Amino acid sequence: MSAALSAADDLATLSLAEAADALARGEVTSLALTEACLARIRRHDKALNSVIWLDEAAALEAAGAADRRRARGEALGPLHGIPMAHKDMYYQAGKPCSCGSAIRRDFRPAYTATVISRLEAAGALTMGGLNMAEFAQNPTGHNRHFGDCQNPWAQGRITGGSSSGSGVAVAAGFSFMALGSDTGGSIRLPASACGVTGLKPTQTRISRHGVMPLSFSCDNVGPLTRTARDCARVMAVLAGHDPKDPTSAREPVPDYEAALDGDLRGLRVGVPQEWFLEEVDADVLRAFEMSLGVLRGRGATVVPVRLAMMREVLTYGAIVSRTEAASIHANWMRDRPGDFAAHISGRLFPGYAVPATYYLEALSRRGPVLRGFARAAFGAVDLLATPAIPCALPSLAETDIDGGDPAALQRFAAVSRNTRPFNYLGLPAISIPCGFDDRGAPVGLQLAGRPFAEARVMQAADAFQRDTDWHSLRPKLA
Amino acid sequence: MDEIFIAEAGATARRWSGIDIPNETARQMAADLLKLIADFEALRGGLGFEDEPADFEAALRDCKEPG
Repeated sequence: MSAALSAADDLATLSLAEAADALARGEVTSLALTEACLARIRRHDKALNSVIWLDEAAALEAAGAADRRRARGEALGPLHGIPMAHKDMYYQAGKPCSCGSAIRRDFRPAYTATVISRLEAAGALTMGGLNMAEFAQNPTGHNRHFGDCQNPWAQGRITGGSSSGSGVAVAAGFSFMALGSDTGGSIRLPASACGVTGLKPTQTRISRHGVMPLSFSCDNVGPLTRTARDCARVMAVLAGHDPKDPTSAREPVPDYEAALDGDLRGLRVGVPQEWFLEEVDADVLRAFEMSLGVLRGRGATVVPVRLAMMREVLTYGAIVSRTEAASIHANWMRDRPGDFAAHISGRLFPGYAVPATYYLEALSRRGPVLRGFARAAFGAVDLLATPAIPCALPSLAETDIDGGDPAALQRFAAVSRNTRPFNYLGLPAISIPCGFDDRGAPVGLQLAGRPFAEARVMQAADAFQRDTDWHSLRPKLA
Repeated sequence: MDEIFIAEAGATARRWSGIDIPNETARQMAADLLKLIADFEALRGGLGFEDEPADFEAALRDCKEPG
């Protein structure tokens, strides 16, 4: 083992790709990686509150078994021996799956999500379930039932949600990768707020079988990792059609990691002239503009781009997920409304007053709106660049709707302003760390591409990370 | 807040779904539907006779990168 890999703390803060490569070279064991992650969780999670449940014994047993298989020279998958924990909404037969809620606190599903099965088939092992917004229904990470996650970079600020624990666990060195889910920004927001990399793939790119639903039409599964390369390695395992999820796409899965060549010559990056930069705080804008310079330095051309159909995107997008969520939760809203946090039942409620004709109009316009948007945007550029969260990261108190501050609702909505449009459009989008705001919280750069252009999105993100070190910085934990 | 509208929204939820307004946040959120209605009004006439939800998957494929 190299000197750089000698300390347990160092092991836990390697990128996933570095850890997997060190395992393959025999420089480290899965047991050592798993023990390093568990030790950091024991030491630091009382303050961060990112873990809902942990099965240490099973994780250590699986790590030992992984090491024995490697020692026997068996054929191994690309994630062999890598310990992970995921947002607590991925079904694993017989294991807890709270969905961040009181209602499902004791739920143990009878079957396993396809994405968990794929990760395990690739050799990954699962340590536990991570904190999240209740039923994945807020962009801040507030959780009345399990307690709020704490931002490891900035005490008292939001972690972003709904995949709050996933962002924290990856940032804090508890997990080399964590699955999140994204219906309005729930992967990209915690990635931005916690200074990690998070990819929302194209709608239909990854199976949702065995994943807690929020919105049939807008839910996406995706990874939070430390680097774009990590994302690419994991996406190779996750992406692809699943017969158990008939909505999953049959599009071929490219070699994502092979696309990471660092060369952005000829790439056209568009800065939207509508919506995305209309309400940006100065410190966030500063980090964003510096990021554009980095992309230019790698050979990209950065140009302003006019968007089409934004009014349609925002209006129709506002209705689809809220109506579907209301439908999914109707039984519990009838029978036990008091078991939801007030801001969750409050957000669900309007969905019961929306006419079905509005909902179907919003769904039926989705194809034409995507075509119109893509023609205008991607006729001119290959990628769109925006800040992931346009405002300086607010505090938990400033966005606590249940606390009674009327302004909290507006701050709450401002957080997901730039991520929501890409869910209605179904486009792939990544958030990568690109600096810090004036109060010391991370800022994220969002890059979005055409449908199924995950390779190009990750290529640009990886190129950016070759010339910056924001993704390599680690928070100092108490 | 428009109390009449909120009462109407509450009556709709009660009649069609058997769900009561759970709290003050729900009342505020229900009031926000007025803006949504106005936004929908501004888009009236856009829905084509042949438009339907399944077209979205076709649009994803159609809008891929060329080649």
